[in-house]
Amino acid sequence: MLAYIIRRVGQSILVLLFTGLVAFSMFSFVGDPIDNMLGQERTQADVERLRTELGLDRPFVVQYYKFLEQAVQGNFGLSYRQGRPVGEILLERAPATLELAFVSGLLALVGGIGLGIFTAIRRQGWAANVIMTVSLIGVSLPTFLIGILLIYLFSVELGWLPSFGRGEVTQIGGWSTGFLTASGLKALILPAITLGLYQMTLIMRLVRTEMLEVLRMDYIRFARARGIRERAINFRHALKNTLVPVITITGLQLGSIIAFAIITETVFQWPGVGLLFINAIQFVDIPVMAAYLMMISVMFVGINLIVDMLYFAIDPRLRVDRTAGGH
Amino acid sequence: MKTAWTLAALCALAVPANAETFRWASQTDPNTMDPHAGNSAPVLGFLNNVYEGLVRRDRDMQIEPALATSWEPIGDGEGWRFTLREGVTFHDGADFTAEDVVFSYERASSPEADTASWFSSVTEVMAPDDYTVEMRTSAPNPIFPDSIANWMIMDKGWAEANDVTRPNIEQGNYATLNTNGTGAYRVAERDPALKTVLVPFENWWGEDRGNVTEAIFTPIDNSATAVAALLSGEVDMINPVPVQDADRLDQAEGVELKRGVEARVMMFGFSQDKDTLVGGDGSVEGNPFKDPRVRRAVAHAINVPAILQTIMRGSAEPAAQLVSPAMSGYSESLSERPALDVEAARALLAEAGYPDGFRFLLKCPNDRYINDDSVCQATVAMLAQIGLEAQLDAIPVRNYWPELRADEYDMYLLGWSPGTFDAEHPFRFLVHTPQENIGTWNFGGYSNPRVDELIPAIQSEIDPEARQAMLDEVAGIVQEDMVYVPLYVQPLLWGTATNIDLTQREDNFFILRWVDVR
Repeated sequence: MLAYIIRRVGQSILVLLFTGLVAFSMFSFVGDPIDNMLGQERTQADVERLRTELGLDRPFVVQYYKFLEQAVQGNFGLSYRQGRPVGEILLERAPATLELAFVSGLLALVGGIGLGIFTAIRRQGWAANVIMTVSLIGVSLPTFLIGILLIYLFSVELGWLPSFGRGEVTQIGGWSTGFLTASGLKALILPAITLGLYQMTLIMRLVRTEMLEVLRMDYIRFARARGIRERAINFRHALKNTLVPVITITGLQLGSIIAFAIITETVFQWPGVGLLFINAIQFVDIPVMAAYLMMISVMFVGINLIVDMLYFAIDPRLRVDRTAGGH
Repeated sequence: MKTAWTLAALCALAVPANAETFRWASQTDPNTMDPHAGNSAPVLGFLNNVYEGLVRRDRDMQIEPALATSWEPIGDGEGWRFTLREGVTFHDGADFTAEDVVFSYERASSPEADTASWFSSVTEVMAPDDYTVEMRTSAPNPIFPDSIANWMIMDKGWAEANDVTRPNIEQGNYATLNTNGTGAYRVAERDPALKTVLVPFENWWGEDRGNVTEAIFTPIDNSATAVAALLSGEVDMINPVPVQDADRLDQAEGVELKRGVEARVMMFGFSQDKDTLVGGDGSVEGNPFKDPRVRRAVAHAINVPAILQTIMRGSAEPAAQLVSPAMSGYSESLSERPALDVEAARALLAEAGYPDGFRFLLKCPNDRYINDDSVCQATVAMLAQIGLEAQLDAIPVRNYWPELRADEYDMYLLGWSPGTFDAEHPFRFLVHTPQENIGTWNFGGYSNPRVDELIPAIQSEIDPEARQAMLDEVAGIVQEDMVYVPLYVQPLLWGTATNIDLTQREDNFFILRWVDVR
């Protein structure tokens, strides 16, 4: 068990180091930060001085090493754009993204499972057909477009919801929350729908397919024969057996909700880490880009590691000591 | 419950009866609040509301007194003497005196600053008394007061107390986030890249100020979102409005499109010091763009009125020189653009030895200027009519300047906004032979000894007529050699709610003092 975990952790660290290396090798193609930091009346001497000062004249491997050296001490450098520690900025922006991801995830889960059950049980009804057709739109329309359409409908035409920003936020310790004010909650609705729609349709279709599968099983047929009420069959027996794969998929999707919040955050000017990353690319703010990419890769690698360990706990076959067996 | 009501009543009392909140959005957040650490339009435009210079520009871009009440040349062009305004205080209450001006000169001209080039001709700055400042220049500099309108004065005591006597571009410091100017508004809240709140400075010396009591600036990256926010009434002003949305805003209710022209002239430049084409296919020898006739052929082939009609939706003015007619030093006699004449263009190409045209690389940014990549696409089609096969490479601006510096182009798009609002500015940066501190944006490497001789002479000529004559001569040479093909003056498109009165200044600075909420 321990050897397995150590091996997996070791592999994860290797993956992280490699991701960082690839990221750093690509920063030079993103552009030159100096052009954004100095005005048009600068001289070549100014450019050279700043380049040396920022260490941009050194090969990317050296830059990467410097970054790692500082990062292990918890120092992610200073943002070129804001002149403030990157760690501080990321912490400031993280609550916005996490709250958005949480609400979208919840929406996707509740909406997806509910609609999935409905369309599975009433699969011949017109309502189920409408939902299935609409869900195709949810899967195929790009997030960007959905966001803009929602803004035009609910902000411009109806005037019900704000088109951008996070509304009023309350500070609790270091955490800024939009859950406690009316404007904060209103501001959450459109971005959460935009971000969660794709996951919701995905979960809905998954639940529907699984449920239809389960409903064909013999034990359901026997349950019906025994005269158990339809309600109990659907929710107690069928749903329970449907949820196993759904939970696996949802866990994996959680990471992508945070990572793909970038587009939603840009459309709604949502002050989270995704928007920060987009701004950083535009400004060639290398420290912010590096820290964000590392954060996202740590998150994905971490989720995978946990999943691996869960498999280990669930699947007894993995527990067999490979060397001892000898077939 | 009772305390809550009392609190609410108190809050209501604290806000003046006619509180006017003004909310505006723009694409870029000023990346610093330090007026000497950023020499870019977003930074200087924003800080013009908070800090002030010795002089400032009025609604028509003319210089008028600000922290200096008057100024005069010293002796025979040895420098300039400024008489300072008395009774001015900084936002923190400190008095404004000559000492602050001298300090701000040292700070803004230090190697750490991004504004040092404004002071390249200054040799010494002295304060004979508390309200007089003398700035000595190495050579006569007639437009010096014009060139320092964006040089903002910082309080010496405040800078020392907060350890920000020098700007720090790469690491930031206290002045990156905090301000202490003398301007009409002070920063009440600063959340970088998210929100900045300005409130009127009660002890401001001036009177020309609108009725805004609180101004909230939010950067909105996505232009579609910005337009939606304006239409839904969540913001009162956006800048810029995407050209394709201009007609819609014109028709929408409750909002208004305000059109103006910017000081920025769009032009095509050419590689002129290389011996081969980067994007050639080997069908022609050498670099055809070295030949002025080829560059002139390009000028005759581009249908500028059509570009303005279709891509700019009629919002821009054609340009004939490197500056717009509104700039000082514009050459009135040279205001004729090369006419659209495909036959003449073909004839010029044939005369230069390229009757069948050639293939080359056209480099353009796709997120720097208004509809820049569309303009370049249209140009490709227009040049095809005279047999020139342009390979268009449109890239984000963050990669654009490095590519131009690496000579990865044969022809390129450039927009230039003269910082001094004088015709000499583009000559200095775009036409002078490239050197360490001059000709720094002359990517093509055009070099003309006569031009190089005239530019320093223009810079130190005091007599306006003699100066204009030399400016005319350089403008004539630039036009004759077709160093650049000027296209048009970029439009200013701002969208506002209908109850907002404001002034669009040609440098695209948004001046909050001129905003009135009706």
